[in-house]
Amino acid sequence: MLFVTTATTERLPLRRPRAGRIVGGVCRGLSAHLGVPVGLVRLVMVLLTVVGGAGPLLYVFLWVTVPAGDPVQAAVEQRPAALSRLAPRLSEQGRRLPITDIAVGLVLIIAAGLLIAARNGVDVATTWVLPSLIALAGAALAWSQLDAIQRDRLRAQSGGRTPVSVLRLIGGIVLVVLGVFLLVGRDVPVEDLVRSAIAALAVLVGTALVLAPWWLRLVRELGDERAARARESERADIAAHLHDGVLQTLALIRRQADDAEEVARLARAQERELREWLYDDRRTPGTSLVSDLRGVVAEVEDTRAVAVDVVVVGDCVPDAGTEALLQATREALVNAVTHGKAPYSLYLEVVDTQVEVFVRDHGDGFDIDTVPTDRFGVRESIIGRVMRRGGTATVKSRPGRGTEVHLCLPRNGRNGEGA
Amino acid sequence: MIDVILVDDHLMFRAGVRASLDDTINVVGEADDVDSAITMVRSLQPPVVVLDVHLPGGMGGGGAEVIQACTDLLGTVRFLALSVSDAAEDVVAVIRAGARGYVTKAISGSDLSDAIRRVAGGDAVFSPRLAGFVLDAFGAAAGDVATGDDELDRLSAREREVMRLIARGYSYKEVASELFISIKTVETHVSAVLRKLQLSSRHELTRWAAARRLL
Repeated sequence: MLFVTTATTERLPLRRPRAGRIVGGVCRGLSAHLGVPVGLVRLVMVLLTVVGGAGPLLYVFLWVTVPAGDPVQAAVEQRPAALSRLAPRLSEQGRRLPITDIAVGLVLIIAAGLLIAARNGVDVATTWVLPSLIALAGAALAWSQLDAIQRDRLRAQSGGRTPVSVLRLIGGIVLVVLGVFLLVGRDVPVEDLVRSAIAALAVLVGTALVLAPWWLRLVRELGDERAARARESERADIAAHLHDGVLQTLALIRRQADDAEEVARLARAQERELREWLYDDRRTPGTSLVSDLRGVVAEVEDTRAVAVDVVVVGDCVPDAGTEALLQATREALVNAVTHGKAPYSLYLEVVDTQVEVFVRDHGDGFDIDTVPTDRFGVRESIIGRVMRRGGTATVKSRPGRGTEVHLCLPRNGRNGEGA
Repeated sequence: MIDVILVDDHLMFRAGVRASLDDTINVVGEADDVDSAITMVRSLQPPVVVLDVHLPGGMGGGGAEVIQACTDLLGTVRFLALSVSDAAEDVVAVIRAGARGYVTKAISGSDLSDAIRRVAGGDAVFSPRLAGFVLDAFGAAAGDVATGDDELDRLSAREREVMRLIARGYSYKEVASELFISIKTVETHVSAVLRKLQLSSRHELTRWAAARRLL
């Protein structure tokens, strides 16, 4: 049985993304959540329409209930702040056709055209169909605010005011009222219609007067919360910028101070720490071979005052086998730093079947067979450790081309106790 | 003599880079945010633009946004990303926007000059870290191999070998002698990988970059 192979199996939360949507982003969001191609989701949606119209129903239900937003961003926000990176993420540059707006416009134009035709005596569906359609369009327009809230908030933050949401609401109300009146007052004389409209309006105004204080308080609370959030994000920006600046200076120091070993060592340690805080989302301790490896490398770098170029591909949960591999890697690295020359490279590759490590230096190289067995630590501490776990270890060294230690450990689930 | 524009929001760093470049590189302009960078690149159209990944201004897209705003110039203007960050999402974002390479700011002046020359010549600059990201994104397992040259979503066996050697710290020259091929062939493979990285619509690539944020 394979246990957790990579750390990337987490599901993205269900959101309706703004980029790449066609109507409301429901299919795009479902595809990101389920991890299936968006085309397939759309196809299933369309096919479901044939099954008693279940497709559109499901779509509208999800449209109303699922919040809009970037699923990746949402997943990041759900992470504990202490484990996330400080530096801001680059925002996605998605292109978007205003298809929704165009569709709403088309529907409105058709409705207006029908109304005018009806006034001029043409007998269009003046029964219940047209008014219901108008009322539905109005409701859709008002509900579409839910969709627009996030975008409007972004725009409001950047300084511009947005009358769009107000227009949306007013347009929606007007349409719904019109539709309802046409629907209810089909056979009623005009005077009665006007009188009942006035009565309805009076009731609405009364209700509004009663509810106004509560609504005002709600708005004020929302404003306070927004201001607090803006302050917080501003503070985070400043912190990120400061750290960023320190990192720049450190990079400069490291490049110029080639004689002062101590300065280089401190700069390296500080740089590593800042880098981790700024650009890495940290993993929970004990769940990642990669973070354990980085710990080992950091220790060697600090004690020997060198820089090691670490490249990793994949990750897995550490076990007894990888622990032995890690120890062997440490020995190989110490060996490279002691006998070889900079730059030092370390490459870790984790795939389903095996874990591989390459440790390389650019020294003069040596011939491993000429080294006496009792004097050299390579055989026991590196090769022996990995062999006992069922792995292989080879040392490749050629004069003038440096030395490369290659460790390979098969991953066959939990039966790693070969020692 | 190669004309370049430097784009970075840190004055100190721009001064440092300018001083460290060798005689064959001529800095013709400097910009410190997204909007001024776009304006300057459009008016000067230098062969190479060296730009930071994280930049203030614009719509928050940083270096990737600058490149995207200049997509129509990509035939004549080439971009080299230079950043303190080596996070996967940052690297993948600028490369997919159209950058021809990615190096970290710890790079020495002569190496940076080399990288600029390489980019100006139309080649791609792959650091070991970038090669690692490519292997991670396209799948490192040996079974997952492209069958035809036109397949954008997978690496060919040779491309994977080249990427693994670069990730292990081999220079282009060392890769060439290890695989018994010419440096020119190595450069061809690297350019092909860069193209795949930019054009692939591979579902996992986006998903992978997204998941990397959660690591």
